[in-house]
Amino acid sequence: MTPSVLVLAESPAGAVSGPTKEAFGVARTLAGPDGSVAAVTTGGPAAAQALASFGPRDIWVADIPTESTTSGAVAALAARAAQESASAIVLVGGTTFGRDVVGRLAVRWGAAAATGVTEVTRTDSGELRVRRPVFGGRATETRTLLGPRAVIALRPHAFGAASEIVGTPAMHLLDRSVIPANEVAARRVSLASADGASGPPLPDATIVVSGGRGLRTAANFSLIEDLARSLGAAVGASRAVTDAGWRPPSLQVGQTGRAVSPQLYIAVGISGAIQHLVGMISSRTIVAINTDPSAPIFKVADYGIVGDALTLVPALTQEIRKVRGLS
Amino acid sequence: MNIVVLIKPIPEAESRLRASSDGRQLDPEGIRFVLAGYDESAVEQALLLKENAPGSKVHAVSFGPVRCEEALRAAIALGADNATWVEAPPEGSDDPILAARSLAAALTSAPHDLILGGKHAGDDEEGLVPSAIAELLGIPSFGSVADLRPAGNPGGISFARVTEAGVEKWEVPLPCVIGLQQAWNDPRTAKLPNILKSRKAPIEKIDWSKTLAALAADSQPRSVSERFALPAPRTGAKMIEFKTPEEAAEKLVRLLREEAKVFP
Ligand SMILES: Cc1cc2nc3c(=O)[nH]c(=O)nc-3n(C[C@H](O)[C@H](O)[C@H](O)COP(=O)(O)OP(=O)(O)OC[C@H]3O[C@@H](n4cnc5c(N)ncnc54)[C@H](O)[C@@H]3O)c2cc1C
Repeated sequence: MTPSVLVLAESPAGAVSGPTKEAFGVARTLAGPDGSVAAVTTGGPAAAQALASFGPRDIWVADIPTESTTSGAVAALAARAAQESASAIVLVGGTTFGRDVVGRLAVRWGAAAATGVTEVTRTDSGELRVRRPVFGGRATETRTLLGPRAVIALRPHAFGAASEIVGTPAMHLLDRSVIPANEVAARRVSLASADGASGPPLPDATIVVSGGRGLRTAANFSLIEDLARSLGAAVGASRAVTDAGWRPPSLQVGQTGRAVSPQLYIAVGISGAIQHLVGMISSRTIVAINTDPSAPIFKVADYGIVGDALTLVPALTQEIRKVRGLS
Repeated sequence: MNIVVLIKPIPEAESRLRASSDGRQLDPEGIRFVLAGYDESAVEQALLLKENAPGSKVHAVSFGPVRCEEALRAAIALGADNATWVEAPPEGSDDPILAARSLAAALTSAPHDLILGGKHAGDDEEGLVPSAIAELLGIPSFGSVADLRPAGNPGGISFARVTEAGVEKWEVPLPCVIGLQQAWNDPRTAKLPNILKSRKAPIEKIDWSKTLAALAADSQPRSVSERFALPAPRTGAKMIEFKTPEEAAEKLVRLLREEAKVFP
């Protein structure tokens, strides 16, 4: 029997996450025509049902409340699923959830591990080879994962989402008794939508519009939010903006904020300090708008506009609303 | 509270990166490896917690080659109470799972209520070590953590983190492992007398032979680097010429749709 590839899935509220769809696509490629794809979720029957449309042959299901979904609990359940499905590879989207589980699962299941992976191939001798950006995207490394088992967190947006396939997977219940006793005392006591942000959360977004000190005032920053809304994008900010209290720290992109790698990153009134660049340089396409033609941000951007954000951003919002038929 | 801080020395931010002659990894020649990035925040956070709970101790621990000593001395100069260098195998290894196993072996006998690391190291960005250590020690772990506080009931902590779901707040009993996103403050800088004193501070060394004996069958790396590559430098932006903001907007949107194809 060809070992299967197991997808550790995230499907909050029964909606399969983008990174999980990408993981299914990679799993199908790695399994090949002779192998099979399986999935594991800790989100209960609704989550499992949602996963069925991505064609796994088997789905392992546990039902644990999100308030006590710790990486230790998930790793224990996923290790059991990996064993029962006789998998050789576990794939997970590289979200906060996914990245937290990988190290634990690798130890528990006796596997090699890698995170932030943008390419996975199998060598002629059957070993897994991964490519991943390092040093904030300033370099890439290629690693060989040794041994028969591997756990891999895929970098969000690096792969295409899998198409939906009609199927009737076999469902298997996971026994919660594998969860270590000291994992059940941790509690998520609250969950709020990321403050100040309308639209998708920053780490997840395919498009990010970020503003910097060049916006001049907290009030002007709403121009960034208008542009983001027209694109269905997430809002980001430089540290100058969060330090000034114009917007909350949860929006900060960079070394001491979030790292993002969207399809499109638009930097407005941001100079391009190295601490900001490490958080966004692996974005696929970068646009910079800045009054200073020598701003370092133009060195990493694909498209640049030298000019005043206060007039350019509203014009851009208007144009995008026009082409999207919104106005 | 006994606080352990995990440290990995990484190249200074301004370093020029180059591949080694065999092309497999970063060429360390001429690069200064320092305490920086998220690890520096982890040290800061550990010191803040210690200042809040008198009687606490901060123990800095680092796995790797001899250059760990300098980063550990930097932590001592900032205020860490003691330091341990866990020696890497002489042939070297950059496998995070082996690093975690070696560190966990050293930590089993060291008091630890809270183990703090950066959410990932600024060089390899794997972020595997804290959570792998937690699994080996059989305690909970959380990454991307900010606003870490002693919790209401003794023996616990609370923290916030921004995830894909939103802003989460957690209350967690100790012991546990934390991968830190951000400390309350920007990292402090060490005072000169403390830097001078740290040069003579004792650093406990755990020889590789001792780790090897403790790990037995698990002493092999699970991954090896094959290639280290610097991307072709971005050639600089295509600049958009325009007379009115409307013209700039129209040109940019056309390029994004037709050339970059990132926009429907
Ligand atoms: C330890 C450490 C960690 C850090 N972490 C981060 C981090 O995580 N994220 C981060 O972003 N920074 C971080 N920083 C700060 C970083 O070094 C920069 O100071 C910061 O990114 C600058 O923000 P900015 O580009 O908005 O502001 P500035 O550097 O002040 O740039 C403003 C830009 O706006 C342009 N401008 C002015 N007026 C206009 C206009 N009308 N229209 C268009 N453009 C205009 C200017 O030409 C300039 O280029 C960190 C620094 C340190 C020391």
